[in-house]
Amino acid sequence: MSARDEFFVGFFPVPPGLRAFLLAAGALLILVFGAVGWLAATAQRAPEAGGFRFDLGEQEVTGVLQLSPYPLLYVTEGNERLPAGRTMMLSGGGKFSPPQAEGMDGTLVRAKGVILKRGDLDMLQIGWGPEALTPLEGAAAIPAEVPLGRWRLTGEICDGKCAAGAMRPGRGLAHKACANLCVIGGVPAVFVSAAPVEGSEFLLLAGPDGGPLPEAALAHMAAIVTAEGEISRRGDLLVFRIDPASLAPI
Amino acid sequence: MSVAYIPVQWNRFKYWYDAALALAVGLYLYVFVELGPGLLGQDPPVTPQIHNARAFGSCAFLMMTVILAIGPLARLDRRFLPVLYNRRHFGVMTAVVAVSHFLFVFGWYFAFTPLDSWEAILFSNRAYGSALGFPFEALGIVALISLLILAATSHDFWLSFLTPRIWKALHYLIYPAYAAVVGHVTLGVAQSEPLGFPILVWAGALLVAGLHVAAWAHERRRDVDSGAGSWEAVCRPAEIAEGRARVARLSTGERVAVFRHEGRLSAISNACAHQNGPLGEGRVIDGCVTCPWHGFQYRLEDGCAPAPFTEKLPTYRLRLRNGFVEVDPRANPPGTPVTPLEAGA
Repeated sequence: MSARDEFFVGFFPVPPGLRAFLLAAGALLILVFGAVGWLAATAQRAPEAGGFRFDLGEQEVTGVLQLSPYPLLYVTEGNERLPAGRTMMLSGGGKFSPPQAEGMDGTLVRAKGVILKRGDLDMLQIGWGPEALTPLEGAAAIPAEVPLGRWRLTGEICDGKCAAGAMRPGRGLAHKACANLCVIGGVPAVFVSAAPVEGSEFLLLAGPDGGPLPEAALAHMAAIVTAEGEISRRGDLLVFRIDPASLAPI
Repeated sequence: MSVAYIPVQWNRFKYWYDAALALAVGLYLYVFVELGPGLLGQDPPVTPQIHNARAFGSCAFLMMTVILAIGPLARLDRRFLPVLYNRRHFGVMTAVVAVSHFLFVFGWYFAFTPLDSWEAILFSNRAYGSALGFPFEALGIVALISLLILAATSHDFWLSFLTPRIWKALHYLIYPAYAAVVGHVTLGVAQSEPLGFPILVWAGALLVAGLHVAAWAHERRRDVDSGAGSWEAVCRPAEIAEGRARVARLSTGERVAVFRHEGRLSAISNACAHQNGPLGEGRVIDGCVTCPWHGFQYRLEDGCAPAPFTEKLPTYRLRLRNGFVEVDPRANPPGTPVTPLEAGA
């Protein structure tokens, strides 16, 4: 037997004694990759139901635009799905608030967009272009904000768009950076409560002054936390003015 | 083995190797991407971009695990040596799969934002001081950059340009890269998803660590400890088979390979000048020591690669004393001729 009979050298033919072993090793490699692919794919958690409701078509409603803490539309003339009296959170495309809304706080507008919905959390993504959010002549009253007192809640700070199903999964610590980007971009931040508050599992978040969520709160994004603050009702939407100093991880 | 630098030195074995690898990766991605949603039966399913990112990311981890297992497996069972031969193609393909994972993540999570995407990926989450919600993306970037460096410098041009010592040290980057990926998964997926996939990752990391320890212990047992002194004993001449070597660990920390060829003994450094492959596990073919990793060859009498190749190895002097082969632990400069020792049968 020559040295080459059992010794592999890449630029020579594979020694006969090694061929069966290498074929078996190659087949095993392929099988292992298939098996691990199956294991890894099936190890994923089912995302919560929710998403864009393109099937419902474009929604067109009239209402009063509010920009604090985040873009909201108090619907004055709605439709079957978005009836008058609803207060809808608004987003633009991507991780932005609707750019057309700038400078239109308190304006009566006609809004066109697509609904995002998960459970009782929903949002209207305003379409691109100026025709998706057009100012109208006239004015309409919005309901007064009703204070509901100081609360201490347990839950998760999320961006309302991904939590409503723009991404699946759209919550959790692996999604933290994306959620921060959405909120930095002006997408409404929400608090998904571990227990319903006044019948709602989510609340629109605001800073202590009623403005957008302060940067200090972003550090707690996507984690389960306890938080204290004032809750109020704005139309059918609950607003949680969070005290950043009270935020504590569970 | 070539004196000219050409992009890829294909041969029949490499075609088969790459085909098997492409089939394995293709099967993984097909099962995960195409069959996965059906297997899960989820309605609605995971967002396709996220699903794809997970498929490519988890595949890259599996590829890194196999790459790191090949070295110790080849040490423990010589039949795995051919798998090591074309490992650089495996590494380059791993970098491609890892880049695909990155592009899915970058183009989805960090796109359509008011921040620049690079700023977004590095600074949108700044909880670097907390394990809870740690910006695990940064660990993924560390691993990706490492894989890209390894892939970009995998060609023999870089080996020659950087010198084998620096090249080898650079390519140990695979270990911190692998650790970064384990951290990437542990601080990311494991904090949000069921533990099924993290358990696969931790099992893979344990397997890699276990194989390295086993190979280290195996090598320690196999090496001859030559003691210390002006001449150090290796073994009895009859313990060295024709065309093969015994490896001794010298008091200097170097390993020397003592070969028998046509009844005469010669000693050269155990580290191949190409990629530090273990020459002592090679064979004498056509009168030259042949490296078991990539087939680089050296003459026994002077440690030089046959013309037109230019690689040189340190040689060692040998003598027979009291029935033992002894080696002078002071290595000769690379390429120094040494008369082979007549060892008899």
